[in-house]
Amino acid sequence: MYPETIAKEGVAILRFVVQRLAQSLIVILIVTLITFFLVNLAPGGPSAVMRIEATQAEREAILARMGLDKPVAVRYVQWLAGAVTGNLGTSLATSQPVVKRIAERFPFTALLTLCTMIVSVTAGIVLGVVSAVHRNSLLDYAAGFLSVVGLSVPAFWLGIMLILLFSVNLHWLPSSGIAAGGNGFDLADRVSHLIMPVLVLSTTTLPNIVRFTRSAMLEVIFQDFVRTARAKGVSGLGVIYRHALRNALIPVVSMIGVMVPRLMGGAVITEAVFGWPGMGQLVVESANGRDYPLAMGVTVVVTIIVVLTNLLVDVVYSRIDPRIRMT
Amino acid sequence: MKSLASGNLKSFGWRSSTVAMVIALLILSLVAVGYGRGVQKGTAPADVKTGIGSGHRKGGTVTIPIVADPTLNPWHPNSYIESLLINRVLFDGLTKPGKNLAPAPDLATSWETSKDGLSWTFQLRSGVTWHDGKPFTADDVAYTFNEIVLRKELGANGSSYFKAVDKVEVTGPQRVVFRLKRPFAALPAYLAYNAGILPKHIFEGKDPWTLTSFNKETPVGTGPFKIGKYTSGQSVELVANPDYFGGAPYLDRLVFKVVADPNSQIAQALSNDLSIMILDNKAAVDRVKGAKNVTVYPVSLTQFYWLALHQTNPLFNDVKVRQAMAYALDRQTMINTIDRGYATVANGPISPALKAYYNPDVIKYKYNVQKAKDLLAQAGWKDTTGDGIVEKDGNPFQFVLDIAKKGNLEAVGQMAQQYLKAIGMNVQLNSMEWNALIQKDIIKRDYDATINWWTYPNDPDVLPYFHSSTVKTGNNIPDFKDPQLDKLLELGQSTSEPAKRKQVYDDLQKYMSNTLPYVFLWYPQELQVRNNNLRGVPDLGLRDALHYVNEWWIKQ
Repeated sequence: MYPETIAKEGVAILRFVVQRLAQSLIVILIVTLITFFLVNLAPGGPSAVMRIEATQAEREAILARMGLDKPVAVRYVQWLAGAVTGNLGTSLATSQPVVKRIAERFPFTALLTLCTMIVSVTAGIVLGVVSAVHRNSLLDYAAGFLSVVGLSVPAFWLGIMLILLFSVNLHWLPSSGIAAGGNGFDLADRVSHLIMPVLVLSTTTLPNIVRFTRSAMLEVIFQDFVRTARAKGVSGLGVIYRHALRNALIPVVSMIGVMVPRLMGGAVITEAVFGWPGMGQLVVESANGRDYPLAMGVTVVVTIIVVLTNLLVDVVYSRIDPRIRMT
Repeated sequence: MKSLASGNLKSFGWRSSTVAMVIALLILSLVAVGYGRGVQKGTAPADVKTGIGSGHRKGGTVTIPIVADPTLNPWHPNSYIESLLINRVLFDGLTKPGKNLAPAPDLATSWETSKDGLSWTFQLRSGVTWHDGKPFTADDVAYTFNEIVLRKELGANGSSYFKAVDKVEVTGPQRVVFRLKRPFAALPAYLAYNAGILPKHIFEGKDPWTLTSFNKETPVGTGPFKIGKYTSGQSVELVANPDYFGGAPYLDRLVFKVVADPNSQIAQALSNDLSIMILDNKAAVDRVKGAKNVTVYPVSLTQFYWLALHQTNPLFNDVKVRQAMAYALDRQTMINTIDRGYATVANGPISPALKAYYNPDVIKYKYNVQKAKDLLAQAGWKDTTGDGIVEKDGNPFQFVLDIAKKGNLEAVGQMAQQYLKAIGMNVQLNSMEWNALIQKDIIKRDYDATINWWTYPNDPDVLPYFHSSTVKTGNNIPDFKDPQLDKLLELGQSTSEPAKRKQVYDDLQKYMSNTLPYVFLWYPQELQVRNNNLRGVPDLGLRDALHYVNEWWIKQ
């Protein structure tokens, strides 16, 4: 590739990214508008108000203190004015800044997501390629069967079964949390706490990647350029890696693009089963407890991640497949 | 062509290794997250415990599950079920539930009421210090009540229990007087119920609800354990308070661990990761009983399940109709099916846990379909059309039963629906999310019938749930008004002499079993799952047993 081509391409990517970011702002604005009205107009109210034993007088006092006696539209404008300056408000449940509450949990979700992605992408692509190359073999059938099982098994059941096996019976792995008590940082301990949650989450994402890779590979494997490469004497593995896989990766990348935001929003059930202090538990808490500012904060963060992931996926597309150009 | 391809490949390869490096760095930094977080306070020296005997062993950690991050302030409107347990360990009230549930000394050593019943004097314990070393005084008590609990605009959690209190006066360095608007014999018992005293020197001049440095980070109480480390979403670790006035705890640490999922809680109890827990899902009791490392203890609670029949609906005004419904429900079978037998049929609000006040000599409403049908007929409800539904003046007996999707309530609603159908009532079930149900049924009072439960302090004073002054805006959910009932409830509040008080509440229970302000269902038992190495836990519900956590110890 010539230098000027790279430069040109760089400018194209930059222009594309800027355009997309501008569009994203509008998307985020619309999402916040819809979410704000949806959560605020849902029946019920913050858990402090919705205690069965609270009296009317207590409820009114609390609502007034929370500023919830104002109309929804007014509250949205106030919220938005704060949000553009990075102030996502105060959690109704804890009186702490929403930004702080999310910042406490986000890293744990990010860690879980990243590990899950790495495990399921590596294992998924390898399994997918092997299944495609040895299609209709015993291995292919086994991978196919396990994929279906993985997709069908509910996460809460698998999680509890793993805890019963590895924690209750075998005492190999810790049953919950991110680290054992005590204050020192212990890598082995951290990893042992990660194993079961990552395993459970991977069973939901892995099958998709295996199936996508396999079918994409099968499409590519019989195309002329692969046959040509073979005819030229490129070794078997070389053909698969350099020619077939690169082309097959395109749908897989888009698949990953869909998965990231889903995982980032918090693996609600997996986090609950393994006591993982991530975003999922915040989502549940904010929805059940009608913690409006927290619900909005989580929505904004997840929306931004979705938008950025999509942008990233589009950029990666063009790198894998030079035919796709930024416009 | 060839060079272009390989150039592409090379740059692709370079990029992947960079990406790999970035990812690796990211993971490392993320794995390190949480290390060194939280507030670390000084821990208790290990050798201060004196008077260890009879096999009691010093040391060890007890772990208790909670479902979410707690708020470490017993009066905070967000101090809910996840906070109740821990706040009973961090803070002390003036009184605490005795092992017989009668109020026992805590921060107060003795108390007495005036002849007119309009003031209560509490003698306070001397030499008590807050966890930060400052002395505890009468000013702390006065501040907690006058500036937090009794300030209506704050809407403090449980403040409605103290509506009868006008103000708290300091009459000596170690003495306070509660001035009342009307007699309130249950005051010492109510002061034992989530009524922890807060330190004036920290709260003065602050907004008690937004003071997160206290409520969410470093609370200061007088209890047997003090804050160690609060890690959001994971755990709150407490360390022993060697200066606790009730005697330093045997345990070194008490950990409240966030485990939201009830099945995970069970699994963790079985894997010795939890020391003691409440088994909410009683259907799982057999599974837990089969385990070798834990034992299940059923404990009676001051709690009753009820069916509320909204009195604005004329269907339910006739007492015969309410009695017919009580006869129609086979409550023992419901208990056996839903609660695996761990409950007692209720015909009034006062639970057998209150041994001194429980009156078994009331109308029993033993399951009897014929009697139910006869009562309905006497009230004018008969099946004239032969469709299985009773009618009166051509109108069928039909109503909507709102049920919250919470705990075992849906199962209770379904069984009730079937039993009521058998006596000719057409009941439609309306399952709702908890929050939405509270909005509709409790706040707007827009409902026909609903099922829920009340948990109350360890005292027979149940006025808030039945008195006509609590109709519409308070805890009288059926909006039931009865002057005779009001009189009995008020008499109970103004009678502090024990024998007389017992007589009043005997009468009250009889009267209620006849008039059925609510249709009483049952008194559930708490199923406490304890690790077999955990000793010294008194035979009380977990919440009350935590008042004695300094007596708990772990067998080696």
